[in-house]
Amino acid sequence: MIVFFQACLNGLLTGALYALIGMGLALIFGVMRIVNFAHGAFLMVGMYVSYVLFDHFGIDPYLGFIAAGLFLFLFGQLIYRFLIRPVRDRSDFMQILMTTGIALILTDGAQLIFGADYHQVNIPLVNRTLRFGAFAATAASLLSFVIATVLIAGLYLFVTRSLTGQALRAIAQNIEVAQLVGIDVTRIQGLSFCLGIALAGIAGGLLLPALYLFPSVGDDYTLKAFVMVVLGGMGSIEGAALGGLLLGVSESLTSLYLGNQWALAVDFAVFLVVLSLKPSGILGRQRT
Amino acid sequence: MSSLRGWKPWALAAAVLACGSLALVARNDYLLQVLFRIVLFAGLGLAWNLVGGFAGQLSLGHAAFFGAGAYGFALLSAASTPRWVALFLAAVVAAAFAGIIGRIVFRLRGPYFTLATIAFAEVLRLSVTNLKLTGGAIGLSTPALFSGRSTWGMLYLSAIALAVTAFVINVYVARSRFGYYLMAIREDEETASAVGIDTASYKLRSLLISAFLTALGGALYGSAFQFIVPDSVLTIDISLQMAIVTMLGGAGTLYGPVVGAIMLLGAAEVFKNQFQESHLLVYGILIVLVVLFLPEGVVGGLQRRFGGR
Amino acid sequence: MHCRRPAGLLGTLVSAALLSGLLGCSQPGGDSTRIGVITSLTGSQAAFGAAHKNGYLIALDEINAKGGVLGKKVELNFYDDQSKPDQAVQGVSKLFDQDHVPVILGSYSSESTKAIVPSVIQRQVPLMIPTATADNVLDSKSPWVFRICAGAGDYARTTVEFLKSSGAPKTMAIVYENTNFGQSNMRAMSEAAKAAGITLVAVEPYEAKSPDYKAVLQRVKQANPEVIYFCSYLLDAGTLMRQAHEVELNPKYYTSAGTGFAAAEFPTPKGAAKNAEYTFSVSQWLPESRWPGAKEFDAEYVRRTKSHPAYHAIEAYEALQVVVQAINVARTLDRATIRGAIRNLDLRSTPFGPIKFDANGQNQHPVMITQVLGGRYHVVYPADVADAKPVIPTPPWSQR
Repeated sequence: MIVFFQACLNGLLTGALYALIGMGLALIFGVMRIVNFAHGAFLMVGMYVSYVLFDHFGIDPYLGFIAAGLFLFLFGQLIYRFLIRPVRDRSDFMQILMTTGIALILTDGAQLIFGADYHQVNIPLVNRTLRFGAFAATAASLLSFVIATVLIAGLYLFVTRSLTGQALRAIAQNIEVAQLVGIDVTRIQGLSFCLGIALAGIAGGLLLPALYLFPSVGDDYTLKAFVMVVLGGMGSIEGAALGGLLLGVSESLTSLYLGNQWALAVDFAVFLVVLSLKPSGILGRQRT
Repeated sequence: MSSLRGWKPWALAAAVLACGSLALVARNDYLLQVLFRIVLFAGLGLAWNLVGGFAGQLSLGHAAFFGAGAYGFALLSAASTPRWVALFLAAVVAAAFAGIIGRIVFRLRGPYFTLATIAFAEVLRLSVTNLKLTGGAIGLSTPALFSGRSTWGMLYLSAIALAVTAFVINVYVARSRFGYYLMAIREDEETASAVGIDTASYKLRSLLISAFLTALGGALYGSAFQFIVPDSVLTIDISLQMAIVTMLGGAGTLYGPVVGAIMLLGAAEVFKNQFQESHLLVYGILIVLVVLFLPEGVVGGLQRRFGGR
Repeated sequence: MHCRRPAGLLGTLVSAALLSGLLGCSQPGGDSTRIGVITSLTGSQAAFGAAHKNGYLIALDEINAKGGVLGKKVELNFYDDQSKPDQAVQGVSKLFDQDHVPVILGSYSSESTKAIVPSVIQRQVPLMIPTATADNVLDSKSPWVFRICAGAGDYARTTVEFLKSSGAPKTMAIVYENTNFGQSNMRAMSEAAKAAGITLVAVEPYEAKSPDYKAVLQRVKQANPEVIYFCSYLLDAGTLMRQAHEVELNPKYYTSAGTGFAAAEFPTPKGAAKNAEYTFSVSQWLPESRWPGAKEFDAEYVRRTKSHPAYHAIEAYEALQVVVQAINVARTLDRATIRGAIRNLDLRSTPFGPIKFDANGQNQHPVMITQVLGGRYHVVYPADVADAKPVIPTPPWSQR
């Protein structure tokens, strides 16, 4: 039994990071309907930013992630203005093409700049294990869980309470009416995009101490992010977060009872089962 | 509707013959291998076009059929099925698989549909990697369909045969009521359904044909390199490649997939030889530029500029 | 679906013409000897392809500084297989059919290497394999195929011999990544363990590059093995050991099939630091190896890349050196003669140890077992090259 709960705990800790990634994509995909196949690549950029700060300036990744987020927010402005805005209204096809191209440029660019080598970061927090009775967790994973939860809560409040957040949701619901009501759609969409990839970058920074770094590290996460967003229901930020937590726990339990090699397959299987029962996702509304 | 009258069929036949004769003229296998790949992907793009171009269903899980064809071919041959029988049988199995998947995924729309197709392909890939029967990550050997000096020439001609078949099917679909219904579904599925078109059935049919052709391509590919691993026939790159080739060339057009295949795969090989490590960077830039400046794909863009409606 | 007019057909013909023009031109011979290299410059194995390339380039510069081969400078024609076997096969065509190289080195991974063997045999080109360890790579027993490095079977057998000579444990768990490397090494160890009468109590695959292996390690813990054999390629070694600590997994021996567990950074603070202590690994080479030139190679590698070489780099280096040596002995670019020259080589002291190929083309490279003690690798087996005694059993985590 203890082993089961420990696995759930591990799953939640990992799931919180997934949730960040998913929420970022939910902002972009759910709100803007931009099919962003470069989401994982942006996560990778965030990881490299954190790594460079750590390697050259000794800044702990648990502080460096903030810089990663900021960098990606600003970088996002450029990308949005020159590459995303032109395809904003085009078909899904073209968006996939564009973002795939961006992903290739970022990934190969990272390889050319930093080399294809793997890089690791080893900080004391990662090795300090805290024990609570029969359960254990590293200080680092608890810290990143706390940070992720704060960010998720903050994002949720932003989207539901603030004026900009409401504008965001208005655009997500009905873009024509939003324009009619006087919302500056271009500006808000740009903001949403930058915020979305900033979240990916932050997740990257938080992931750095737990994993290791190489140019194509983000690729697997793009797909998982899409699963989270669609599983949770399009246009629902909370849904994406829920999707992230669900994936984390599912992977952990599958690894414990079936074997780690099936974890990803079960992710997809769960995804397909949920979709066949509720085609609009867990918290999604039926869209017309 | 496409008009394929008058001089056009002759010009096309001549072009195909010219391509085919390259097999005799080509100096070395390298050129034939690159051409094989290009023509194969032109065929695959045309197969994808049925579902993605005509019916507007953005499937990114076609690697499942490609891989099913390759692995089906390998496994059936290992079980002593004659090679050519195994080739077609594998494609039939893949189409059956498509029938099952189709029933589930076609109930979904838009991004839900796309993600579901990806999910199926990934589940297949992971299962193949994990199971001993399919050789796991270590892979399986596949028998060669041809032997002797002109192996690659024959493979190249087979790829041409597949591409031509896919092209002819595309032409037929474009001119038939079936195709008309598919396009109606693409433009507005609800209305099409309201008007009495059995959308589920037509979508499924397009998928069955598409999957069959794709699987033939997969089996041919597997046989060409005589060794398959999940990472070479079941990854999402392959699904993306099929879709991108068509989208870039012009989805829903007849020549789009062909132009896309020549451009993209040709460019990829040239870049690889010219740019070594940075070839993917250049390739990415090429894609971005095409999207920015040729919004309807290459063929669509050409149509706009040089007329023809 | 509109009246296409010539637009589509035109587009097709134009692109085809451009393409054939670009592909048709091959480079002129020139006055250098070209040797073909297939490796993974991009794709999932790019990091190791880069290690290969660095090793090849160091060897290239040394060779050309000494005058090249047969009086001409040596040039390397690289082909990127993008970490895919079918691209590797295309590489053989490009290098031989188009560029007419007399010898090919490569590829990187076992699956790509296995894929190119039939092609090189058909074309009768000598192939020198630097790093592919899967045993099935030499299945063809062709006289055209040579391998510098020891294989997965050697890893497993050496580990089992070491275990038998130091305590003879009875139960083992294999934890392996779900890739070709992992699965091949798992199979090799399964055979070797069975042959030695060791029971496999757990065989656990895992998906590489994940942040969380605690569930896998928990399953292993429940099986209570005396030995764990890790087959882990990348830097997952660090995550695995760190989480083994978290989960309080305490076998008597932590052993491994090298790579991740034999990487230069693994025992350092940058890698797994204290968690790496007491782990055993198979090793083909260390920068501290006593072979002449090993230290110099390490220094040169550090000078160029600011990091220490793993054995992939030295294997690539050695592969090129051996091939050039053979060409010099053969005094011709005739492929059959070169093949014969390689077969007859008997180099006693190279930076990678003695080089001598057996009837199957396998170089008899010794495999050692190292243990991380005091934050550094020490050779602990076989006894005649050991520089420290192995510490067994591994102290439980709570007592460290």
